[in-house]
Amino acid sequence: MMDAKNETALPATALGVARGQRIAAAGVAALIVAAGVALASSPDTQALTLSLAFGALFGFVLQRARFCFYCIWRDYIVARDPRGMLGILTALAVGLAGYTLVFGAWLPDPSGTRLPPDAHIGPVGPAVALAGLVFGFGMAVSGSCLSAHLYRLGEGSPVAPFALIGAMLGFVFGFLTWNPIYLAWVSASPVLWLPRHLGYGGALAAALAVLGLVALSLLRQWRPSPRAETPLAAIFVDRWPTWIGGLAIGAIGTATYLRVAPLGVTAEIGARSRAAANTLGLLPERLEGLDQFRGCATMIRDALLTPNGVFVMALVAAAFAAALAAGQFQPRRPTFRDAARGLGGGVLLGWGAMTGLGCTIGTLLSGISAGAVSGWVFGFAAYGGVWLALAVSRRLQRA
Amino acid sequence: MIRTSLFAVALAVAFAAAPAAAQEGPLVTTEWLEKNLDNPKVRIVEVSVEPGVYERGHVPGAQNVVWHTDLVEVVNRDIASRDRFEALARRLGIGRDTTVVLYGDNNNWFAAWGAWVFEVYGLRDNVKLLDGGRKKWEAEKRPLENRVAAVEPSSIVIPEPNAKVRARLADVLAVVKQEKEGTIVDIRSPDEFSGKLIAPPGVQELAIRAGHMPGAVNVPWGRAVNEDGTFKSKEELRKLYAAAGIDGTKPLITTCRIGERSSHTWFALTRLLGYEAANYDGSWTEYGNTVGVPIANPAGTVWGGK
Repeated sequence: MMDAKNETALPATALGVARGQRIAAAGVAALIVAAGVALASSPDTQALTLSLAFGALFGFVLQRARFCFYCIWRDYIVARDPRGMLGILTALAVGLAGYTLVFGAWLPDPSGTRLPPDAHIGPVGPAVALAGLVFGFGMAVSGSCLSAHLYRLGEGSPVAPFALIGAMLGFVFGFLTWNPIYLAWVSASPVLWLPRHLGYGGALAAALAVLGLVALSLLRQWRPSPRAETPLAAIFVDRWPTWIGGLAIGAIGTATYLRVAPLGVTAEIGARSRAAANTLGLLPERLEGLDQFRGCATMIRDALLTPNGVFVMALVAAAFAAALAAGQFQPRRPTFRDAARGLGGGVLLGWGAMTGLGCTIGTLLSGISAGAVSGWVFGFAAYGGVWLALAVSRRLQRA
Repeated sequence: MIRTSLFAVALAVAFAAAPAAAQEGPLVTTEWLEKNLDNPKVRIVEVSVEPGVYERGHVPGAQNVVWHTDLVEVVNRDIASRDRFEALARRLGIGRDTTVVLYGDNNNWFAAWGAWVFEVYGLRDNVKLLDGGRKKWEAEKRPLENRVAAVEPSSIVIPEPNAKVRARLADVLAVVKQEKEGTIVDIRSPDEFSGKLIAPPGVQELAIRAGHMPGAVNVPWGRAVNEDGTFKSKEELRKLYAAAGIDGTKPLITTCRIGERSSHTWFALTRLLGYEAANYDGSWTEYGNTVGVPIANPAGTVWGGK
């Protein structure tokens, strides 16, 4: 269950990457730029062009900082290594500050009945908690969350493709169980937005205080990271300190919200699964209330290219380029175990992301940044799911 | 000396008066609006249906109106009540002498709905549409901003609604049964009109019967606009509707599925051509669900299968 290979190891020595791989990395980067130029030629595709740029940046940062929620949580739970956790806290703090800036301009008075447009502020109830818990289990089984599987696809991971296929199946299961869950647990759940009750300043201060207190306790366990030899190696080869990744992710989250939509990686995966299952006649006639909620919307769209689809493709491509440049593109023939872990964990991830209206990015990161209580609930539940899965796994190994 | 300063004053007065003179009529051009962004007598209001469109960039100084919470009631099906509308108009800082310029996404459909609701509540001649809407403003690369300008609330008093510009089911039935003179203008697509389709693709709000109101004429709303989304010229509009037997001699009722696209045609007929018309906001989702009313259904579509 535990993925020992990655994360802490730094395989490539400074710029000691085979020349061929570096040329290939430059080639992939050039392809991304060419796609951007092609998209930018029409003024109607501004959202697509921006999504490409943001997706590529996001993929690059995820790969360079190995920003994987599961690995970070596992490093802390198992090895008491707080460095990754501080990275997540940094991303949330920057995202919160950025969203507050944007909200203040868009909706000067948060106290009314209105919510800021399309921010991921979801209903708070047992459904989002259960979704987080199951998602956390899926993270532990498959070795990471969905955004990390996407960047690992670019690293040639043998598990990621299976996990993504499993996630699509999980989404279909999620659609199948949605109606009863909606009627029992979601329809009467309140949508809680902290700035409405505390004001922008109060909500920001309260959230930063919580993050700060957690950070203070983590800092006591701080250990120094190995230093890179040259600036180029520090950027392109060695793993970034997670807090630098966190700074970048908080900034990218704010920028995408300002210009396109909140950060999220499951809308396209969900919508494609929904379209496929719908074509096969598997889904109920109506998914009650689903399309009115904010979150990673899975409404079926006809367009070949959607902003979220372009975002995800650019994410994978940029992670691929980053992995090549760092000598971390290490494809391996998948074993039966890889496939089983990926599919099984993926199904849990998909179900959790569907029922929770997003994953660790769309609901946890974009939700908490937006001042949504649903983001906090999903985050704590997912952490609980990982903790529980690791405890069960240890028990099984001992037995 | 006195002469030159008099000349300067005259010049200043002329320039100050110029924009006001150019705003005659129910439409304003994008060019006029850009020149009047700072005009204190002009209140620009965006009515878009897609969430986040206004917030990510709007005409500088524009205020935001959300169609499905500001201009309609949210529990019962109705246009905004007098109290609700009065509160909205005050929040927008609209006075009796304010020129209100409405615009929005989706071909100005919801902005036109806004213009209709404004007229129901007695605000007519000072309420204008930006010809071509958001799309034309953007296509011409005119500036957008994403800050919300603070406006001083007004203390306008809104009268009871004017029933003349709003058609209810009973009014429509009276025309259908030829008890009252009038023509019903159905602006839906030919396939909806004939009953081949009950609603456009992707639309949830259905009627359980297909077709149209007997005697209605079909002039799809899109025929009233040019490529760039601006309204056709008065002369072209007159010809378009005359070809369907509409010449303004009989009172008109515009209708569609929920009454928002028909507001667009209602605007063309009343404000551009000066015909007498009422908009039927119940439209097909009310009429097509009503028990015991006559329906023409040339396509013969039966709800739930033949």
